Amino acid sequence: MQPNVTLAPPPPPVPAEPCAGRRGTPRQRVWAACQPLAWIGPAIVLIFSVVLVPVVLMFRTAFHDIDAVGFDRGFVGWANFEALLREPSLAAVVTRTAVWVVVVVTATMVCSLLLAQLFNQRFPGRRVARWALIAPWAASVFMTAVVFRWMLDPRSGLINIFLHDIGVLPELGTAQADWLGRPSAALWWMIGVAVFVSIPFTTYAILAGLQAIPADVYEAAVLDGASPWRTYRSITLPLLRPALLVAVLINIMNVFNSFPIIWAMTAGGPGDQTATTTIFMYQLKSSSIAESAALSVVNFGIVIVLVVLFLKAAGGRSQVQS
Amino acid sequence: MKRRLGAALAAAAASALLITACGSADEGSDGSIVLKLVGADYGTGPEDSTAKYWQGIADAFHAQNPSITVEVSTINWTDYDTKVKTQLQNKDYPDILQGVFYPQYATNGLVAPLSEVMSNPRAGTAVFNEAFSVNGVQYAAPFTTSARAMFYNKKAFADVGLTQPPATWAELETAARALKAKGYIGYALPLGPEEAQAESTLWMLGNGGGWQTDGQYTIDSPQNVQTFGFLKNLVSAGLTQPNPATYDRTANASADFAAGKVGMALSGPFLTATIASAGKLGKSDFATAPIPGRTAPVQQTLGVADAVQAFKTTDAAKGEAIKKFLDFALADEHQLAFAEQYALLPGTQSALDSLKDDPVLGTFAQLLPQTVQFPSDEKWTATVLPAVKKNIGLAVIEDPARVLGDLQAKATAGR
Repeated sequence: MQPNVTLAPPPPPVPAEPCAGRRGTPRQRVWAACQPLAWIGPAIVLIFSVVLVPVVLMFRTAFHDIDAVGFDRGFVGWANFEALLREPSLAAVVTRTAVWVVVVVTATMVCSLLLAQLFNQRFPGRRVARWALIAPWAASVFMTAVVFRWMLDPRSGLINIFLHDIGVLPELGTAQADWLGRPSAALWWMIGVAVFVSIPFTTYAILAGLQAIPADVYEAAVLDGASPWRTYRSITLPLLRPALLVAVLINIMNVFNSFPIIWAMTAGGPGDQTATTTIFMYQLKSSSIAESAALSVVNFGIVIVLVVLFLKAAGGRSQVQS
Repeated sequence: MKRRLGAALAAAAASALLITACGSADEGSDGSIVLKLVGADYGTGPEDSTAKYWQGIADAFHAQNPSITVEVSTINWTDYDTKVKTQLQNKDYPDILQGVFYPQYATNGLVAPLSEVMSNPRAGTAVFNEAFSVNGVQYAAPFTTSARAMFYNKKAFADVGLTQPPATWAELETAARALKAKGYIGYALPLGPEEAQAESTLWMLGNGGGWQTDGQYTIDSPQNVQTFGFLKNLVSAGLTQPNPATYDRTANASADFAAGKVGMALSGPFLTATIASAGKLGKSDFATAPIPGRTAPVQQTLGVADAVQAFKTTDAAKGEAIKKFLDFALADEHQLAFAEQYALLPGTQSALDSLKDDPVLGTFAQLLPQTVQFPSDEKWTATVLPAVKKNIGLAVIEDPARVLGDLQAKATAGR
């Protein structure tokens, strides 16, 4: 039996041999300090080269004047950020991004809570249903988005033909049928696709949370005569908190940074009227890579702020580990 | 333990070495020269890829000059800008670059003056000389060109009882109304990002407007605002296809015209190739006419050229090889073969002259020498053009004065 398992070094050497102890201990200490490096070294190198170096380069680009063919004309201070702020559509893009993130994440969470509850019940075909849910997750997001774009084709799209057949759409090939050509309609279709591809991960995260709730808590609730709704509110939801926080956090970051859906379906068009900040960043790249980098820096800041706010709201503890 | 750490460190060092070990091979030491040619791809798939066209020329050239090998690669137009920029940023310069001429290539000292890389630097159609020059020195030659005209569907016109193509905007509107009543798209208006600048220019020309007046940007001039106001009326009356801002030239307008759905469209000779391959309209089912203007047809239409340019080299032998190859590649036979394959006009004047009576390209060949060009200053390529491609389509949906005003602000902003 080992009552006390710690990583602390063994007790100090015998006092009768002070010299030998002093010679050995520092080397051992250095060795002990270096030892973890062997294990975390590759990870540090990886993080440094694929995360930190690009971040540094991004900041550097944002403060440089880069011309149309990619030549660096040196440091220009905040000029790229000033140019960014002068973009007439910036306010609309930022507002749209907020709507996009809030609506997609909320809708995803609500749908996933319901689905996870369903999948936590025993019913015939549950295994098949659970597998089926993986499909939108397993398929490439870009591919899913392209498929939806073709299904929404104004003349021959599957969805449009269906809407025409059931009488919702009076005529094919009209402006009304061109959902993705009208910014207001396009945004809602893309929100739909974003929810569709976000649901599997979220549902599985919540399902895992549900399965981790001990059965005896529910037994106690039954003995106390709690109603199913009361049980859900007072037991399931609070105990799901860690899973929900992880799901919301990851979804916010994913949806905020989401590129393929909008790019494949409208490329942010017409103009930049369906662009989020991520898409707008890419659109800016065609005219000014430095201004685009300035927006990347802003986006990067927003994500960091979101994460910090969220962790604060989650009670200061890092819930991501659970 | 110690040994294991050593092994780990060795493995890390080895992998670091592996990453940096990717060297590059340079030209041979036996006096042979390798030229790198990067071009745009004008084809629609692997069968008619422009890489094949260039490879044919490169092989014929190599047969005559066994010491010179030309390595050909082509880039799809969609990725052209990004890939070329990336190559240049990484200092991976081609020797010959076909496609877009950026004045920045010259101001950054990357490309050589045309007089140094071609025996006859004046062989190209003269109308593009200025567009390919910086401070009076020409750096690129026109490789392939096109002039624009109005195409109209004669079948559709006969169907609605029209005999003449419209010459003015009012006539165009009337024709479009009649065509719409019979279920046609009266006028196809591709203001999607692909080539919104060409469609816009052609309409601006019809009202005496343009991008610049005396070298200064005047995108939001009263004439231009009026022009886009007229287009906006066409769109809201349903006389065009819906949502012009997302409607592209090749994928949408050309395809719809070739499918016989469209009454009128402004396009170039390449549309004849699309029509032929779609097989819906016969040779006599469509015709071309001058671009309609507000009060009279446009006298000088838009001419567009893609460039070929050579990068500077310090190696004299290589410079000679580049010159030899460009002279060879821009010979009439190759220029005409390209023109025929992609239904575009050649870049050299001599090749163009031989097409004056061509049944398909003749009309366009005659138009080209009197055409108007896009602006060619650094501001246009760097800032204005990308903004125009992205946003000008909104001018026929929202307030034309505001959209054009925003573009003007971009064009005249400090940097």
